[in-house]
Amino acid sequence: MRTAEELRDKKQLYFDDVSVGQQLPPLVIGPLTPTHLFRWSAAIENWHRIHYDQSFAIYHEGLPNVLAQGSWKQSILPRYLKDLCLPDGWPWKVTFQHRAMIVPGDTVTVWGTVTNKFEEEGMGFVELDVGMRLQYDVESCPGKATIVLPLKNGKPIPYPFVPPKKLATK
Amino acid sequence: MSQAGTSGESALTPEVKGVIGATGEKIEASLPWGVEREGLRIFTQAIMDPDPRYWDDDFAKTTKYGQIITPPIYCTYLGRRARPGSEDPVTRAFEENPESDGIGGVRTPEEKGGLPDVPTSLKRILNAGNEIEVRQYPKIGDHIFSQARYSNIRESVAKDGARMLIVTTETTYTNQDGAVLCILRASQIRR
Repeated sequence: MRTAEELRDKKQLYFDDVSVGQQLPPLVIGPLTPTHLFRWSAAIENWHRIHYDQSFAIYHEGLPNVLAQGSWKQSILPRYLKDLCLPDGWPWKVTFQHRAMIVPGDTVTVWGTVTNKFEEEGMGFVELDVGMRLQYDVESCPGKATIVLPLKNGKPIPYPFVPPKKLATK
Repeated sequence: MSQAGTSGESALTPEVKGVIGATGEKIEASLPWGVEREGLRIFTQAIMDPDPRYWDDDFAKTTKYGQIITPPIYCTYLGRRARPGSEDPVTRAFEENPESDGIGGVRTPEEKGGLPDVPTSLKRILNAGNEIEVRQYPKIGDHIFSQARYSNIRESVAKDGARMLIVTTETTYTNQDGAVLCILRASQIRR
């Protein structure tokens, strides 16, 4: 886990400093407990019992335990990308699929590996394979992401971020 | 409604094609008081993100954002919250079914902002993956609006020969100025 001070003082990762194949610093979360899952359910008012009612999850739904929410995973990946880009880059987009279940006791390693990089309109676009790997080396949330990093001596990444026309999806 | 699946008939019927592009009403996702600190604190602690950009005003002023921001996709969760004065969804769920899984009171397509049902006999729904595109972070006091549409529906064939539909719903989140904050594209398999 990263601390508030580490995030406050985060040094910029520049486009010039990444290369294809590079593994970016991971974020390790866990071991998760039922209380972590319950806290997320309460935070977003997701009352599905499979996430906090162990008897219901096991005896009614036939699950191995209460399950981490897909919405939690969906929030952790952008958070990881945000951390990578701080302070002046942009975590533009991420796609992912839900695969292996995450249950209490699991430790999650959020990871990213550079697969491609290119410049567009003076900004550095870095494509990544990303995921959330469990402690027994099973991937729970494989996906792809694009982050935008500044070039050394280049222009700042604009905020709000507007994708270059060539890359825009909408 | 078509009887697709293993019949060999295409699941992508004219009726299904007819809902591609269907757009729901633009609704306010945030509560009447907009984005506020306490909800932000609860959310960021639940994702275990201690970033001072979410709570330290003095530090936030020194960042490129100039003020407190929220996590990248915070706005996508605001619409799940029960609005004050509305029927209690938890009580409703268990009144309707004492064995409820707890989500019996979730929004239905008939409710505000929802999309029409996809007219297909394929009832089983599986998550096929999501895409999140982030343009801007919401800030304290913002009012967040959401609008959903079926951006694409295509047919696919499973290994067992069954025909499936891949339904992609695109939800765009904007602020009170109409600026796009985040776009969520959620795909479901119907089989």
